Amino acid sequence: MQHVMDFTNGDHWITLVWWVLIGIFVVIYIILDGSDLGAGIYSLFHSDSKEKGAIMASMAGTWDANETWLVIVGGALFGTFPMVYGSVFHYLMIPLMFVLWGIILRAVSLEFHHYSKTSRKYWDWGFGIGSLMVAFFAGVSLGAFLQGFPMTKGEVPTFGGSYLEFLSPFSLWTGVTATIAASLAGGVYIRARFDRNSDTYHKALKWTNLMFYLALVAILSTVIWTFVQFPWAKSKWAGPYWWFFVLSGAVVLFATWSMRRASHDKRDVAAMVWLAIIVFINFAIMMITIFPWFVPNTITIFDAANPSNSTGAFTYSMLFFIPVMLSYNFYQAWVFRARLGKLAGYGDHD
Amino acid sequence: MIDPSLMTDLARLDFAWITSMHILYPPLTIGLATFLFFSEWRWLKTNDDEWYRLTRFFEKLFIINFGAGVATGITMEMSFGILFAPFSQAAGPFFGNILGYETITAFMYEAGFIGLMIFGWGKISKKMHLFATFNVALSSMLSAMWILVANSWMQTPTGVRLEKGLYVVDNWTHAIFNPNFLTAFPHMLIACFEIGLFFVASISAWMIYKNRHAKMFMHTLTASIMALVIVAPLQVYMGDTLGRTVAKYDPAALAAMEGHWHTYNADGTPNTSWNVIAWPNEEKGTNDFQIAIPHVLSLLEDHKWVSTVPGLDQFKKADRPPVVVPFYSFRIMAAAGAALMLVAFWALYLRLRGQFTVEKLQSRPWFLRVVILSAILPYLAVWTGWWTREVARQPWLINGLMRTSEGVSQMSIGAEIVWFIGFMLFDILVWFGAWYFFSKVIRKGPDMNTDVIHGVTPEPMHLGDMPHEEVAEGKPLFERPTL
Repeated sequence: MQHVMDFTNGDHWITLVWWVLIGIFVVIYIILDGSDLGAGIYSLFHSDSKEKGAIMASMAGTWDANETWLVIVGGALFGTFPMVYGSVFHYLMIPLMFVLWGIILRAVSLEFHHYSKTSRKYWDWGFGIGSLMVAFFAGVSLGAFLQGFPMTKGEVPTFGGSYLEFLSPFSLWTGVTATIAASLAGGVYIRARFDRNSDTYHKALKWTNLMFYLALVAILSTVIWTFVQFPWAKSKWAGPYWWFFVLSGAVVLFATWSMRRASHDKRDVAAMVWLAIIVFINFAIMMITIFPWFVPNTITIFDAANPSNSTGAFTYSMLFFIPVMLSYNFYQAWVFRARLGKLAGYGDHD
Repeated sequence: MIDPSLMTDLARLDFAWITSMHILYPPLTIGLATFLFFSEWRWLKTNDDEWYRLTRFFEKLFIINFGAGVATGITMEMSFGILFAPFSQAAGPFFGNILGYETITAFMYEAGFIGLMIFGWGKISKKMHLFATFNVALSSMLSAMWILVANSWMQTPTGVRLEKGLYVVDNWTHAIFNPNFLTAFPHMLIACFEIGLFFVASISAWMIYKNRHAKMFMHTLTASIMALVIVAPLQVYMGDTLGRTVAKYDPAALAAMEGHWHTYNADGTPNTSWNVIAWPNEEKGTNDFQIAIPHVLSLLEDHKWVSTVPGLDQFKKADRPPVVVPFYSFRIMAAAGAALMLVAFWALYLRLRGQFTVEKLQSRPWFLRVVILSAILPYLAVWTGWWTREVARQPWLINGLMRTSEGVSQMSIGAEIVWFIGFMLFDILVWFGAWYFFSKVIRKGPDMNTDVIHGVTPEPMHLGDMPHEEVAEGKPLFERPTL
């Protein structure tokens, strides 16, 4: 067992890079799909079918592209940390099952909504409920992940608990927190995407204000709960580098204040960017707090990694592919640059 | 029941269901992408607008199919870890790597160029668009290649050694180019082309049958079915080659596929009988009933009049695969492949006799009817082919190295049943959705009115330039091409 990072070990560095990369993939997914999910939750509380249709239409060209990041997380995790891929996914069987059902339900509803007439109201509900399922159970999964889980003893340790192991007050609470945070992101997104003269734009303001305060309470209480319940968090936050965490917290508070101001000044795209920055920093703080664990108290990054010849092969191949991928992604972004300018702007829906 | 554990069998069933519901889409993605590349190339080459209309029409079907593939594919990607955790961990150094390659080098690559292909009309030059379509086809084949590398390695796991419970890679070349892969990948790739071509042929035949743009759809009918004259027999040949690979490297699987229990006859001569139909009795280790033809088995597997083909009696009872599913699946697949070949030959015969014209096909419509219905057969063949392959590998998960019962997650029976029922509902919903939209697009037919998009066309950049109604109705300025 190699619990700590060995800074002279090249394999450890490669492993660390992959852990960071996977973290970045996860946070990109959260930022991109969080808004879509939140807009779906918003639609559950607003019964006008045309308004729901406009919300769905607003993400027509992007929601599936946003979801590809989730696929990439799965692939990269299996490719570099099969230990984690195997044990964590088994541990999270039930919440992930609901996430998958939510994703399918949402995908089907988004497609059907446009082309149905009589059954449209069911697809409206499917879209909202699917979004809610994904947000809530992804939050539950994250909370359960932070709790850690029992492993079997054996040559290759794997998850050794029951199928309800994930369930705890903490994981349920992180589910609620994630739902509220997504709802906030959804509100901010709708504000950025809809015409300022539209009804939806004004309704989304009330929603965003409410969700902002709810999210503030939920996230702060999650942070306190984490500090109290998990020694690995307490030892980091109250350890020798406490000033780093205080400083990061201050940065988050500044970003939060900036987001509110942007929202207030109707600089809606800026508000979206600030929210993305907040999510990014929070996720980074979480990863720094967890380090060197991959799953807190369960398995470290270095124990979870593939044998070095596999990680090495994976890394070399990616060193070749990533520049290729970046070049066509840049080309694509360049081709569709006009699209970004047009992202704003959905008119009234009657 | 080869494994007494209900948990293992339920995990098999859970996985069988989600894979069966996923494999409906990717082969068509590959086949149709390749066809789209062809039809778009024809458009550029001939400058005939009909090829453009056809390309755009089949592209709509492609998009629906791709969406359904992604929706079911995300489930697949997580399910290895959920349902087969110990397997995912032990095989991770190779298997996980390969699936990681699939995601990053093929799926991301594909997703990037599909965006360009769908939304790129009017934004990039014609040649660049053709290049995008080419990349979609290529990346989807690359994806199939990685998946077949991973699956074939489970059939013939070469190039690894067991170290501290993990299958660590010794030799990447041997592991990737394992013996099964070299024949299974071409077999699957050709299956993808066959599905794509029959899909195109069937829809084109339906359009001609209904006399809608019949002349235009003769282009795609002729192109697809003439390609099938080569592809369909090639697939039969590749199937035979794969069969002999299986006979060589996995004789137990082959014996199960053929319901071949006894290596030798009662008089000590090699048993060379091939069972046309049989009802296996796994308890007694023989067939309760069979119709057998002597010498056919050795001809099939060894291309010899008499040779020894190991029967299931050469394997311990605990190492024998179940027989019923591989035996019948294999026969259905082979029959479907043969039937498809005959359809292609029928088309060739009509063509050679000069009867392959709209008027003649319409006046004697049986050919069209058969082509319309035959599109279901490649799907059936893909299903039964995979069932044969996966069930005949049992009781092994990694052939000869890890049993399915060792690789399965320790799950509660209840959770497995909930999983099964849930995915049954959701996957059927996706299936229903895909077919509903297919039929909607097909009924509507190709768009003959919109202007042909030649390369880069200027488009309104600001909201004010957009037609007023569109904004007022809250319709998206950007959405998937309308169905």
